[in-house]
Amino acid sequence: MPVITFKKKYLYSLLGSGIDDKKLNEQVIKMGFEVESLNEDEVLLEITPNRLDLIDAVGFARSMKNFMHKSKKFSYSIDNPETAVEITVDSSVKKIRPYISGLAAFGVKLTEDSMLNLINFSEKFCETYGRGRKKIAIGMHNLDKMKTQLVYKCDRDMDFVPLGETAPMKYSKVLESNDKGKKYSNLITNGKSCYYPSLSDSEGAIAFIPILNSERTKLTEDTRNMFVDITGTSEYAVNKVADLLAATFFDMGADVRRVKIKYPNKTIDLPELEKRYININLAKAETQIGVDIGFNNVISLANKMGYEAALIGNIIRFRVPEYRLDVIGEQDVIEDIAIGYGYDYINPLSMFYSQQGGVEGQTILNRRAAEAMIGMGFSETASSYLTNEEYNFDKARLRRDRSAITMKNPKTETVTIMRTWILPSLFKSLGMSAHESMPQRIFEVDMAFSVKEGMPAESYRIGAVSIDPKSNFNEAKSYVEGFLDAIGIEHSISSYEHKSFIDGRCAEIRVNGKHIGFFGEIHPEVLKNFGIEEPGIAFEMDLSFK
Amino acid sequence: MHKYELLILKSVRGAGKQELSRLMESVGLGKDETLWALENLKKQGFVEIEYVDSKYFALSDEGRRYAENGLPEERLAKKLGEHKIMVSELKSDDERIGMQWLKARGLIEIKNGAIKLVDAGDDAGSKLIKEGALLKEILSGNYTGNEDSLSDFIKRKLVAVRNIHYIKSVAITEAGENALGGKHAEMTDAIDRNIISSESWKNKEFKTYDVNVPIEKSVPAMRHPLKRIIEHIKDAYTSMGFQEISGPAVESSFWNFDSLFVPQDHPARDMQDTFYISNPEKIAVKEIEYMNRIKKAHRNAWHTAWKEDIASQMVLRAHTTSVSARYVYDIMNAISKGAYYDFPIRLFSVGRVFRNEAIDYKHLADLYQMDGLIIGKNLTMSNLFDTLKRIYDSMGIKINFKPSYFPFVEPGAEFYAQLPGSDSAIELGGAGMLREEITGMKRNRLSALAWGAGIERILLVKDTSIKSLPELYNNNMGWLRKRRLI
Repeated sequence: MPVITFKKKYLYSLLGSGIDDKKLNEQVIKMGFEVESLNEDEVLLEITPNRLDLIDAVGFARSMKNFMHKSKKFSYSIDNPETAVEITVDSSVKKIRPYISGLAAFGVKLTEDSMLNLINFSEKFCETYGRGRKKIAIGMHNLDKMKTQLVYKCDRDMDFVPLGETAPMKYSKVLESNDKGKKYSNLITNGKSCYYPSLSDSEGAIAFIPILNSERTKLTEDTRNMFVDITGTSEYAVNKVADLLAATFFDMGADVRRVKIKYPNKTIDLPELEKRYININLAKAETQIGVDIGFNNVISLANKMGYEAALIGNIIRFRVPEYRLDVIGEQDVIEDIAIGYGYDYINPLSMFYSQQGGVEGQTILNRRAAEAMIGMGFSETASSYLTNEEYNFDKARLRRDRSAITMKNPKTETVTIMRTWILPSLFKSLGMSAHESMPQRIFEVDMAFSVKEGMPAESYRIGAVSIDPKSNFNEAKSYVEGFLDAIGIEHSISSYEHKSFIDGRCAEIRVNGKHIGFFGEIHPEVLKNFGIEEPGIAFEMDLSFK
Repeated sequence: MHKYELLILKSVRGAGKQELSRLMESVGLGKDETLWALENLKKQGFVEIEYVDSKYFALSDEGRRYAENGLPEERLAKKLGEHKIMVSELKSDDERIGMQWLKARGLIEIKNGAIKLVDAGDDAGSKLIKEGALLKEILSGNYTGNEDSLSDFIKRKLVAVRNIHYIKSVAITEAGENALGGKHAEMTDAIDRNIISSESWKNKEFKTYDVNVPIEKSVPAMRHPLKRIIEHIKDAYTSMGFQEISGPAVESSFWNFDSLFVPQDHPARDMQDTFYISNPEKIAVKEIEYMNRIKKAHRNAWHTAWKEDIASQMVLRAHTTSVSARYVYDIMNAISKGAYYDFPIRLFSVGRVFRNEAIDYKHLADLYQMDGLIIGKNLTMSNLFDTLKRIYDSMGIKINFKPSYFPFVEPGAEFYAQLPGSDSAIELGGAGMLREEITGMKRNRLSALAWGAGIERILLVKDTSIKSLPELYNNNMGWLRKRRLI
């Protein structure tokens, strides 16, 4: 879940009078988020990843004020048909970063706080929803320092003065020496080719996309008129983000104007701010939530959640706020109604219980096995399914084979495969218990994994180990036979070779002539490999329920 | 009772009052051990000890020699007898010392260098003999006389006087008798088959044990705390009419992510968080028709390309909700082919889930999760809340709900437990109503409630002796032996 940081003074000034720490905390939880921490200067909020409109303090304050019925701000539209900026999209960007949108905002009164909020917002937004700028990157410019005719294209390796620099630099140099250049260079390389997407006016680049803006158009506290570019790999996403940003600039008191985007095959004016409606059947919503809301209340609940709503017959028409990218359909609106109503007021309602419940056959078999083993004095363990070749094979004197489920991207060498059998897990636990008193008897009934004919195979197995200075083969046999008799499995025993056991002190278990497991005296080298200091015996067998 | 104490107590009971030296002899213990055990017995009130304040006379080396060989004056007097001996003929220091003492007591006279006994009568001779005998008595420890009789010897430094406080005798008390199981009875100690069949115990009393004596405890073999809580959870579900289900841990991305509406470019699918498998690397999705529906739903909702290749990548499941997803599909598929179900259907699963973590003492890469699923008509969020409250109630945990977001449910909720005696709450799991895009249930007028929750966290709330998650999977013998059946 994204955690966002707001300047407390700024946030509280946006929220208006009557807000304090306690109230903020209460309301935030009711809205479905959490105050992670709160101090004199800052508020850290954990929001859910669907509500990216809340990463912005302005957007957050808007939703919270609606939620507290302190304002009714539902929809945004641009009446002026004139576009303020024109961007020509060259076909060269198609193979690397094909889409662009934008907006212009006039009369923005930037302050230190509001400027910081805009910068933090776009950074965080591009990291999360923008997938590290791959899907979305945002650039903000001082409109008065640029021309209004722009070209978006893949450029040659040109000079421009990047943000924070005084001298011109080539794009390739930016990728080499600038922190942002290094961090995002992978976004403009495709195989061996590197592209330099840029947004330029007649004086040169105003942005090296999606890396860095120019020093020329940077924002300052004196900036009054702004231009914002949004680029990315999804046309839907870049257009929607323009809507979202438009709402923010409107709330900051700016006059938002459209930008004309001229693709090779079409021309569109953005932000679109398209009106979108979702019809809700109140009875259905009430059934899903499990409460009675009533027509009288539902409009007010809609407003609380930022929707404009109207009753049309017995259907309620919800207008989806332009900044909400997450509202896909009916169920999303019903959720918002539930949140508006308050989860605390949804009373648990008992269901009718008529059917018989039950556990799987495997669970019953596992329970029997555990009961028998505990009866013989073995304590149960629970181990990780994840291991590596060293523990699963080498230490147990087995040859490594390709039968293990293998991880593609492990973070450490301790976890590279899934265990193919149980005993190494038990040996490992006993090796860490060498200083505890003897005898030590443990067992585990759980899963082991392998690859069979290219498909993953998962099965339940039982493994048991007894470490005891008086261990011998006959003791192992007595446990095995006692166990199998107790759970009612007819079996036969014959001699067997297994590298983890001493030759001539090892046997296999067969059921209906089929090999299901083995037991014997553990090989001294295996004991030593795992750090076990006393002799011991062990058995392992398949315990899949059939 | 310590075995030395028991030995001594038994010996004292047999002998009545017993002197220390006898006691030591009869139990065969050294003095230190005996005194230590007696001190303990006295503290417990099992014996009464009689002390004596007395003087003890010890011989000096010279005194010891005289006790063994006789006093020098005694020996010289014997040698003189009726004879005279010249002073110059005296051979040893002893004889010269004897001469001085005989002279001091006026028993000899010396004339012209010749020594001769004077006639002082028999008394004088027998007195000398008696005096010599005193030393012998002291040597043998049989001296019973007083200090005055030895005043000369003390002056001559043949004997030293020491004041001592010693144990005169030891006697058993009533409590001591009781500790041994009664006064006069013949005792039955260990029971054997003969005692049972002959009923010989009837004429005796049973030897009793001191119930306060610390002993080494037995350690019962037990189920692992995690497995115990899982059994409890399974019982809680089945008692409410839920049927257990299970599914693969090594799963395709399709069932783990796509069928649960996680966008293909979602950060949760990153290599950073999810274990991807290289063997087997990809397995094609078999449920083609369903896959195409999911593909369409993704495109409509997320406006991104949806690739079958990404869906076929094998992963270790990140949640057991993949099991629920498979059953939703199976059931809806069966219904479309005419199968009949008695609604609501209630299902649950318990299994491991995996996070691509670097494992250390704080982090685990696999943990247990439980998932629940209810499919039925007119299901409500309030039914969901009720079901979850009942399950956690059965484990003594009170839960609360708040709104939350998961791609596959809408409305979505999160539930958490208030930690006892604390302001903080611990997040237990997520829940909600499955999206129609996933279930396709609308046309059957059905909906589905689903939830998933970690199991280790329940254990942490319930059993405060468990401090961290990784210790649950270490299986250290000492740790296993200290578990309680909470």
